[in-house]
Amino acid sequence: MPLEPFNTSQPLTMGVELELQLISLSDYDLTASSPDLLHLLGRKPFPGNVTPEITESMIEINSDVHTNHTELVAQLQLIRDTLVTAGEQLNIGICGGGTHPFQKWSDRKIFSKPRFKEVSELYGYLAKQFTIFGQHVHIGCANGDDALFLLHSLSRYVPHFIALSSSSPYVQGNDTLFNSARLNSVFAFPMSGRAPFVQNWAAFENEYFAKMEHTGVIKSMKDFYWDIRPKPEFGTIELRVCDTPLTVERAAALAVYLQSLCSYLLERREEAPAEDDYLVYNYNRFQACRFGLDGTLVHPKSYDSLSLREDILTTLRKMEPYGAKLGATAGLQHLMQVTHEGSDAHYLRQQFDRSGSAEGMVDAAIHRFRGR
Amino acid sequence: MPDIQVIMADLGWPLAIALAWLSGEFLHRWTKLPRISVYGIVGFLLAQAFPAALSSGASSTVTTLANLAFGLILFEFGYRINLRWLRINPWIAVSGLAESAATFGVVYFIAYLTGMPSLTSLLLASLAMSTSPAGVLRVINEQNSSGQVTERVLHLVAINCVLAVFVFKVVVGFWVFQTSGSLPQAISHSLIELVVSAVMGAVMGFMVPALLRRLGALAQDGTVAFALGVVLLVAAAGAFDVSPVLATLTFGLAARHSRVAFSRTERNFGGIGELLTVLLFVFAVSTLEWERVVDGAGLGIVLLLARFLVKTASVALFAKVGGISWRKGVLTGVALAPMSVFVTLLLEQTKYMGIVLVDELAALAAMTLLLEVVGPIVTQRALIWANETQVREEK
Repeated sequence: MPLEPFNTSQPLTMGVELELQLISLSDYDLTASSPDLLHLLGRKPFPGNVTPEITESMIEINSDVHTNHTELVAQLQLIRDTLVTAGEQLNIGICGGGTHPFQKWSDRKIFSKPRFKEVSELYGYLAKQFTIFGQHVHIGCANGDDALFLLHSLSRYVPHFIALSSSSPYVQGNDTLFNSARLNSVFAFPMSGRAPFVQNWAAFENEYFAKMEHTGVIKSMKDFYWDIRPKPEFGTIELRVCDTPLTVERAAALAVYLQSLCSYLLERREEAPAEDDYLVYNYNRFQACRFGLDGTLVHPKSYDSLSLREDILTTLRKMEPYGAKLGATAGLQHLMQVTHEGSDAHYLRQQFDRSGSAEGMVDAAIHRFRGR
Repeated sequence: MPDIQVIMADLGWPLAIALAWLSGEFLHRWTKLPRISVYGIVGFLLAQAFPAALSSGASSTVTTLANLAFGLILFEFGYRINLRWLRINPWIAVSGLAESAATFGVVYFIAYLTGMPSLTSLLLASLAMSTSPAGVLRVINEQNSSGQVTERVLHLVAINCVLAVFVFKVVVGFWVFQTSGSLPQAISHSLIELVVSAVMGAVMGFMVPALLRRLGALAQDGTVAFALGVVLLVAAAGAFDVSPVLATLTFGLAARHSRVAFSRTERNFGGIGELLTVLLFVFAVSTLEWERVVDGAGLGIVLLLARFLVKTASVALFAKVGGISWRKGVLTGVALAPMSVFVTLLLEQTKYMGIVLVDELAALAAMTLLLEVVGPIVTQRALIWANETQVREEK
C-alpha cells in the first residue's frame, strides 16, 4: 500500500496523547481494568477521546486539536477529572509516569484486538515489556516538506523534552539510575530511533518509504517507532520521546514548548539541519535519559559541551516572544519552574525515600495526578 | 512392630495432606479445576475411609493449624479491601447488605417451612449469608484475575462475612441465654465480642507497620512480620474467646491502610501458606459424615439453589447503578458461591460452648460438602466468563 498523501493542516495547531497507568488500589500494581473503565466511560460523552492500549492495564487519552495553552490545559483537566471520577467508582487508581516502578512484565495481559495480538506474536516479550507510558505531541504542518524540515530541525531539542518530561526512574522494583528508563525499552524495537535524513516529502514517499515497503519490513507508517515521525493522515509531525508526566499541566506545558519551538524554527533563522547533526544524536539522547536536567550535551553544529539545564533555560528565554504570540506563556513559565525544582523523576525518588517503598511512590503518583 | 492403628493415628494427617496436594496438582493440570476443590474431594473420601486417622478435637494441633491457615488467608483478604471505595461508591455496600439480608430471609423461610425449629433455622440462615473468603481468594490468586468482578467479589465477601459472624453470634448468644437471657443481652454480648476482636486486629495492624518502619524493612517485605502477627492474633482470640475471623480481617485492613508493602510474590504467604491451605481444605470436610450428608442432601440442595439465585439476583440488581454491566453484575453474584471453610470453622468454635450444631443440621453438612467442591469451580467459571483471568499464551 503506497504512502498516503500528506494532508494539509493549520500550521502550529497541536494535539496531545497521553498513555496512562491503571493501578489496583489493593497492592498498587498495574491492574487489567481497561475494559471495565472504558465500559463506564462509554455511558457519557467524553471530553476528547479515550482508547484501549496494547495491554489491559493502560489506556490512552487524546485531546482535540488546539491552538493555545489555555484551551489545551482546560480540556486536559476536564479529561483528567472525568477519568478520576470513573476510576474512583471502580476502585482503580490512575496515574502518569513513564514506567510502573515494580510491575513484572510477565503478568501483563494483551488487550484483545487483532493488531495487538499480531504485535504480541511478532515481538514476544518485547510487546509486554512495552507496558510503558509516553506522551505524544502532534504539531500541524502546512505540507510534507515543512514536516520533514521541522522533524530534522527538532532533533537538536529532543534531549530537552526527554529531560523535562522524565518520570521513569524505577523498573521492575529497582532504581535504574536513569531519569527516563522508558526510552531504553523503546530502543529494543528494530524500527525505533531517528528518521532517515530525507528533506522533501516526494523523496521520502517515492524513495525511502516505497523501498522500505518493498523490502517487506514495514507495511505502514505505524511500523516506525521513531522519536519524531510524520503523520501524513493528520498532516502533523509527532514527537514521541516524552514520558507521560505526573500531571496534565506539565503535559500541556511540554506541548506548547514544542509549539513555540516549531514557530521559531519555521522562521528558518537557524543553520539548516544536516545529516552530520545526527553524529551526536544518540549520545545527547543518552545523557538526557540517564542524567535528566543534570546531563551534558554536545552541540550538533559547534561541538561545544553544554549543560542541558542551561541549554533549556536559554532556549525557554528565546521562546518568550513566540510563546507570547501563541498564548503559551504560562506553559513556558511552568517549565522554567521544572528546571529549578527538578523533574517528575526527581519527585518520584523523593517519594520513595519518604515512604520507604515502591508502593508509596505509586500512591504519591496517583494523588499527584488527581490534582486535588 | 507398632500397631497399625497407632501408625495411622500418627501418619494420618501428613499422608492425607500429601495425597490431597498431589491430587490437586495433577488434576489441576489435566482439568484446570481449582486445586482447592480437589483437596475437598480427597479430604472427604479419606475421612470416610479412615475416620479414626483423621479425627480432630477442638484443641488438637490440626484444628489450631487450620485456624492459623484461615487467619493468614483472612489477613491477606483484609489487605485487599479498600474502605474508601465503599464510601465513594455506596452501591457496593448497598448490594452487599441487600444480598446478605435476602439470603438470610430466603434460607430462614425455606428451612422454617420444612419444619425445622425456629432457632435452628436462624442459625442456618446466618451461616448461609456468608461466602468463604478462603475459597474466593484462593481461586482469584490461582487464576491471577483482575477486574471489576474480582474487586467486587472481594468487597462483597468481606461485608457478608462480617454480617454473618455478627448475626451468628447473636443467635448463638440468644441460644445460650435462652433459659435466662434476653435478646438485648445476646446482642450486647455479641457486639462486645466483635468490638474486642476488631480492636485487637486494628492494634496489631498499626503496631506491625510501625515496627517495620522502625526497622527500615519496608522496602523489602513485611511477610514474616505479618505472619507472626496473625499467629499471635489467632492465639489471643482463642485465649480471650473472641472471633479470630474478625481479628485477622481487621489486621489486614489496618495494615493495608498503613501503606505497607505485602508484595505480589508473597501472595498466599508463599510455600508455607500453600501448605497450610491444603490442610485447611482437607480439615474443613473431615468433620462431615457421609450418613448425615445423605440425610440432608434434599434440603441442602434446595437451600443451595435458593442461596445461589438470591445472591446472584440481589447483586445483579445494583450492577448498573454501581458502574458495571448487567453481565458483570450477574457474574459477581455467581462468584459468591463458596461457603464451606468459613462455616466449618465457625461451627468448630461453637463446639467449645457445648453446642454441636453439625449434628442438628444435616442439611448444612450436605451444603458444606457440595460447596467445598462446587463453590470454587463456580467462582472460577465466573471469573473466566468475565474475561478477568490471565490468558495463558500458547507456547
